[in-house]
Amino acid sequence: MTERAMREATFLILTALADGSQHGHGIIAEVQEISGGRVRLRAGTLYTALDRLRADGLIEVDREEIVEGRLRRYYRLTPQGTRRLAAEAARLQASADAALTPLKPLGVTT
Amino acid sequence: MTDSAPLERRYRRMLACYPKAFRRESEEEVLAVLLATAHEGQRRVGLTEAADLIRGALRMHFCTSRAPRPVRNAVRLMCLGALLNLAVMVTILVTLGGVRSAVIGAAVQWHTVLLTQVVPVLASAPIGAGVWLWLAWANGRGHNWARFAFMALFGLLTLGLLTGLAEGDGTHALPYTRADLIATTVLWLAGLVAMLLTFSQAASRYYQQEPARQ
Repeated sequence: MTERAMREATFLILTALADGSQHGHGIIAEVQEISGGRVRLRAGTLYTALDRLRADGLIEVDREEIVEGRLRRYYRLTPQGTRRLAAEAARLQASADAALTPLKPLGVTT
Repeated sequence: MTDSAPLERRYRRMLACYPKAFRRESEEEVLAVLLATAHEGQRRVGLTEAADLIRGALRMHFCTSRAPRPVRNAVRLMCLGALLNLAVMVTILVTLGGVRSAVIGAAVQWHTVLLTQVVPVLASAPIGAGVWLWLAWANGRGHNWARFAFMALFGLLTLGLLTGLAEGDGTHALPYTRADLIATTVLWLAGLVAMLLTFSQAASRYYQQEPARQ
């Protein structure tokens, strides 16, 4: 059975964790950067997604720190999360290639 | 720190909407993120931010973030059912004046109609809404009994709709009963789809797992 396409926010959160663990605020900043400022996650959306991703076994808590008296929890991808992200990235790339290939002869470049 | 104190208090008030288990584990962490993303000099929770926090709290209460899609959709339909119950009540309240004129015009005792037909419907609507919400919550958490309880509720709803249709021979042609019948039909359809979704294959796997920890 093929897996369902991932929501953009979920994909971006997993992507933000691809090159190492991140805390909540770091994920928000990273997602904003990856999306070129288009997606600005809010705390409610972020923590609902993190809760679901943890329940699905795609991410896990890496470590906790106290910074300026505030709790900072770092999250990282699990091996399952890494595989899922890779599969989704490949799927998106295949879709993008399918769209761009017929556009090339028309001189359309990205 | 002192400057952010009123904002922190307001954020904490908003986070009180979240399930206890989530607050115990993550309140301080979420609060830190909220304060870190707040604008310079911000003292109040913005409207979009508040809506986002409330939506997040509702999702966590109903566990819709963890449930598979069929259960999530079933929970949404059950919430819609709760709203429809309240909509029936509001419709009756808004059209009460027209109903009264129609009843008096038909030479029927208004207080008899009020006590035997209007008040029972008005009184049962919030209870009905509560039951739909309760079952939405329980189904979202993956309690297996909840889908059977919802099936029983759907049975009652079907019975009510059939009774309503049997009585719809023109002798009960009060404006609110017609609106009530339409609303009940919509409610019945929502209930039917929700019930079928809770018994789908993906949903069954979810119900057979342990209920969520919240």
